[in-house]
Amino acid sequence: MSRALQKYLDRVMIYANRNEKDAAQIRAELEDHLLKKIADLEESGLSREDAVFGAIEEHGHPRTVGYGLRKRFSWVDVRTHGTARGFVAVGPKAVGIIAMGGVAFGLFAFGGLAVGLITFGGLALAALFSFGGLSAAVFGYAYGGFALGLVAVGGFACGLIATGGMAIGLIVPQAGTSIAPQNSSLYTQYLQDSFLMSRQITVISTFLFWGTLVILILTYLVLTKMEYHRINRADPKLVD
Amino acid sequence: MVRLRKQTLDGNVETLLLAILEAGPSYGYAIAKELNQRCQGILQLGEGTIYPVLHRLEEKKLISAKWRLAGNGRERKYYRLTARGRKALVTNRQQWQMLGVVMRRVLKSTKNLSPKPQLKGATI
Repeated sequence: MSRALQKYLDRVMIYANRNEKDAAQIRAELEDHLLKKIADLEESGLSREDAVFGAIEEHGHPRTVGYGLRKRFSWVDVRTHGTARGFVAVGPKAVGIIAMGGVAFGLFAFGGLAVGLITFGGLALAALFSFGGLSAAVFGYAYGGFALGLVAVGGFACGLIATGGMAIGLIVPQAGTSIAPQNSSLYTQYLQDSFLMSRQITVISTFLFWGTLVILILTYLVLTKMEYHRINRADPKLVD
Repeated sequence: MVRLRKQTLDGNVETLLLAILEAGPSYGYAIAKELNQRCQGILQLGEGTIYPVLHRLEEKKLISAKWRLAGNGRERKYYRLTARGRKALVTNRQQWQMLGVVMRRVLKSTKNLSPKPQLKGATI
């Protein structure tokens, strides 16, 4: 078999990242396909070299084919391109129970745009807890530059309970600028404890936010670095 | 030129492969070749991209696979439609026929503002 063909299959299998037994079967199947294709192209009049390159070209980019051949939903799926899917998914786009990426969808999502149950991100949209530049947790707790939620804490916070630089809500403990219904009995009740409550909420939120953010960034970097290292070890040209 | 968008096809390649396998057991290369022939250039699938779909169909038990010795002395993986796959194909075919009727009826009644589009191959 030609070296170009071997190299192509090696690359596909690097991206496929399957266990030894699965990898051997998948490789054998693709090899059979390519050899048959080469034979057909040669029969149609192409030289051996042209037939090999034609077969490889028509088969598709090794990354596209390889990623397609990954398990549909694995425990850990880290990708340098495309959409990662797994219990822990890390990639430019990530879908998983724990998803980290440019765009992340998951129960626990972290990314530029994060959507899920608990989210961290530039734009974080969550059902329960969201932390981010712009965060919204309509049924729960939101913390961020702009926070929107049942409980909202942030530079600009809007919610049932809201605290921050500017807060809009029914209950607004110690906000810089507060907009709350002055005739609300709840407002009067909470006004007495507002300073303490505001401090507690802010301290807990800030601790949670920065602590989790550091852990998430480190996890993301370590997993991505490991994936690049794995690819680089197998074929340095793929990382170049 | 109208280009067939990838999104239009998403999820439907499975049905196309089931339809190819309806004729009988076959292997990856022959399936890809047959598909490209039937599509007559309108849809050009990267040949390697059919394998993830075949494996997915196998996981769903819509097709089954067996390694057999081929003419060239090499082992080759043959796929065949299962009873469940045949049933799924019947359902999908009915769905597509219904959708086809609906689309034709609705689009026919719309005033055609642009000239008849020329079809161009979609590459996945």
